[in-house]
Amino acid sequence: MLDSTHIAMPLRDRLLDSERMMAETGCYDGITDLRLRQDNPLKFETLHTKLRALCVSAREMARRISASPGVREVGEMVVAIYTPEGDAIALSNGIMVHVHTMSRFIKWMIKQGYEADPGINPGDIFANNDAFIGTVQVPDVMDVVPIYYEGTLVGWAGAVCHELESGGITPGGDVCLAQERYTEGLFVCAEKIGTNDAIRRDYVIRCERNLRMPIYWVLDEKAKVASCIDMREAVKGLIGEIGLDYWMRVSKEFIEEGRRGQLARTRQLTVPGIYRGHTFYGHVTEGKPGFQPLGDPNWLYNIPIEMEITLDGTIKLDFEGTQPWGYHSMNCTPAGMDGGMFVTLTQHMNYEGLVNDGAWMGTELKLPYGTWTNPDNEKCATATSWALLLPAYGVFQRLLSRGFLGRGFVEEIFVGQVNSPMIEMGGESQYGTQFGMAHFECAAAGSGALAIKDGLDTAYVGWNPESDMGNIEIWEQNMPMLYIGRSIVPNSGGSGKYRGGCSFMSTWLINKTPHLRLVTSEHSSRVFDNAGMCGGYPAPTCQMHRVVRNTNINELTAARLPIPHTTGTDPHRSDLEKLVTGDHLTDEGPYISAPHKSGDIFTHSYNGGGGYGDVLERDPVKTAWDVENGFLTAESARNVFGIVVRENLDTDEMEADLAATAAAREELRRERIRRAVPVAEWMAQESTRIRDQKFAFEVRRMYASAMRLSPRFSSEFRDFWGLEPSFTFGEKP
Amino acid sequence: MSSYSREIIGELVAGTLPWHQTKRIMSAYKDEDRFFKVLSVLQDRVSWDDRILLPIGDHLFIAETPRGRVTKCECGHEHGDYRRNWKLTAHIFVRKTEETLREIYPNSDLPDPRWMEIREFICPSCGILHEVEACAPGYPILHDFQPDLEGFYRDWLKQPLEG
Repeated sequence: MLDSTHIAMPLRDRLLDSERMMAETGCYDGITDLRLRQDNPLKFETLHTKLRALCVSAREMARRISASPGVREVGEMVVAIYTPEGDAIALSNGIMVHVHTMSRFIKWMIKQGYEADPGINPGDIFANNDAFIGTVQVPDVMDVVPIYYEGTLVGWAGAVCHELESGGITPGGDVCLAQERYTEGLFVCAEKIGTNDAIRRDYVIRCERNLRMPIYWVLDEKAKVASCIDMREAVKGLIGEIGLDYWMRVSKEFIEEGRRGQLARTRQLTVPGIYRGHTFYGHVTEGKPGFQPLGDPNWLYNIPIEMEITLDGTIKLDFEGTQPWGYHSMNCTPAGMDGGMFVTLTQHMNYEGLVNDGAWMGTELKLPYGTWTNPDNEKCATATSWALLLPAYGVFQRLLSRGFLGRGFVEEIFVGQVNSPMIEMGGESQYGTQFGMAHFECAAAGSGALAIKDGLDTAYVGWNPESDMGNIEIWEQNMPMLYIGRSIVPNSGGSGKYRGGCSFMSTWLINKTPHLRLVTSEHSSRVFDNAGMCGGYPAPTCQMHRVVRNTNINELTAARLPIPHTTGTDPHRSDLEKLVTGDHLTDEGPYISAPHKSGDIFTHSYNGGGGYGDVLERDPVKTAWDVENGFLTAESARNVFGIVVRENLDTDEMEADLAATAAAREELRRERIRRAVPVAEWMAQESTRIRDQKFAFEVRRMYASAMRLSPRFSSEFRDFWGLEPSFTFGEKP
Repeated sequence: MSSYSREIIGELVAGTLPWHQTKRIMSAYKDEDRFFKVLSVLQDRVSWDDRILLPIGDHLFIAETPRGRVTKCECGHEHGDYRRNWKLTAHIFVRKTEETLREIYPNSDLPDPRWMEIREFICPSCGILHEVEACAPGYPILHDFQPDLEGFYRDWLKQPLEG
């Protein structure tokens, strides 16, 4: 007979007891032996796979209920099943980052005493989008329902959709203009939004009156509740087959097995030791309309990460030395940071699908209090936390990859994800109605390179491993803009022996609207927010926006003259400037401007991934194919890679000239050696520059902030440059 | 349990294994004998005899030499004790002007050289580009990886290193 004495305990006591047993035994919930797995492994594995399957099935069903192209087209949804204490047992595919953020939400309610008030009962529906309780950002709205079996709470079913509109100060969900919590949009803070399996009417009214596009949010709520009920009933059916005692034990064993599996995989795939990486992010808002003067308008973020892999297989990530939180929307909460870790693990170490919260338990995060990773002010905004979160976990992917490299698993090396510049909009739709929407074609960036092949072109983002840009026709149904181009951006992948995947750019004609507000976020200014690996270069991720107002496009089309489909490859004069007259604008940083109207042209480009290996080792034949197909320009092939590509007039195809390539590469190699200097010599010059503090104000302030928050960063910085212990940076402009 | 021939592993490391085979390897359970097979492939690739203990880059290894365990380039150039940051004995070229950044990014919007520079760490002997850092000016050079080499061989591989 299995021990079921815990079941009758109040839920909060049960959760605390579970945490205590984990602390005492080192095993999840005190599960020190996997006896059910040992007794009948086939039954054990079959049940786990069934749970996984019913999650996948519930999500697919729910996507058909949604009205949002984000959920229907791009799959911005995930569902999962939890223990009564809120630990994930099984999950679907989709935006898996939220599997653990939802866990935090459930635990938060339990610890806040929700059993007593507002009560947890069969048929209840709870919702949350407060990142300090458990989510990443306001548009990530999650619903959970308790699963009762014959009067006993046996688990939770949960679902998250990313909402395309959340009613913030600017339209969309990733509200870049939000500088405090109060401008991010509609908050639902661990609220009971329904009973008896029905969403409350007054909650729906609140949504309808506070959102620009309530149909997305409200139907997503129905989709999530339907998926939760579907999972709940399926779990109850399973318990009917296997018995309550077996369920209560096996669900815990699945998690403990996941924890042990994570540690074993780390020992199998990596090398113990200390790994270090960093990336940067430039936030530039000076002079932009709408931003309140609450802090410095421009900010340079450093994101250093030290990863330790211990001999028992634990992965520890430490963000010591990064920047403070700020009056902008890019702050993150520990829930979001946990989620980033979880979704990365699911892709790189636990890709067989049976992952659960156990994997997360095999890791530790050190998030310095007061930094953007763990703000000491819960009123700060987190609407675009992905802006820093994605680059940060791109670093984590490279650190893990260094471990895979050391262990010989070259096929797993991955230069990592890149940021996802979002475009969001609102105003008057092409149907004459009010609307608001986030455009989710960003879910298909270029990926970082692998150590054995180029990265994926326009086919990967870390936050949604299904990575789909959606069909043009679907997006056009939902916004007053027509595509006049959706094009691969040549040379947008980081160069290397294996190049990063290329990105794409969309060019739109604003159509059938007198008032369209366009806002963008999550793209770095002035610094690349990614990196290459083993000699590969970062992808060029400082794209600006190029816009034309009051164009002559109607005259051009009437006269059947060429119109632009992209900005082209001339960085100094775009195709827009070459082909269209009107008021041209090139804008840096988050785009925020006066409303657009029909006839304007707007462009928005996404990011390519970083490269791997030395450019001089790239395959010339593959490079010729790249030039032929628009992934590289012939100029780049010659000047960056030393690969000479010519057109074969007989076949009308590009071909590599191998003899000329060998000579060009030798020339580049000689020049490389000639120009380089010993690092010691360079350091001597640089240390003088540091003592003199000859840096841009934003760079000096970045160092000063990091040193103020982190004694370790300070001492390492001073030690490296041989500075006296009292050295600090001045913070005056 | 999966296991592959040395030839297959050699092609995998070289990036010449056909994709359908590579994909199969990626999807399968990992081969437990991979590490020493890869070391053997890499050992054959280098022209020197010192034993490779660990690859830490595409052309960079920790090797057992008469001078101790050192970081060593594929060409044979040595960067000293493996516990020290090999970058400190490399050569460097820093792209911190629009002109030098434009050489690598001919068609793109560029970073502001006052905010970011690209550092290239190069083997002084063969000129291979081992690593690239993109960082703010003045940022300390990263020590990418400090492996627990002894613990790795002793506890994970069960083949303790001598000495």
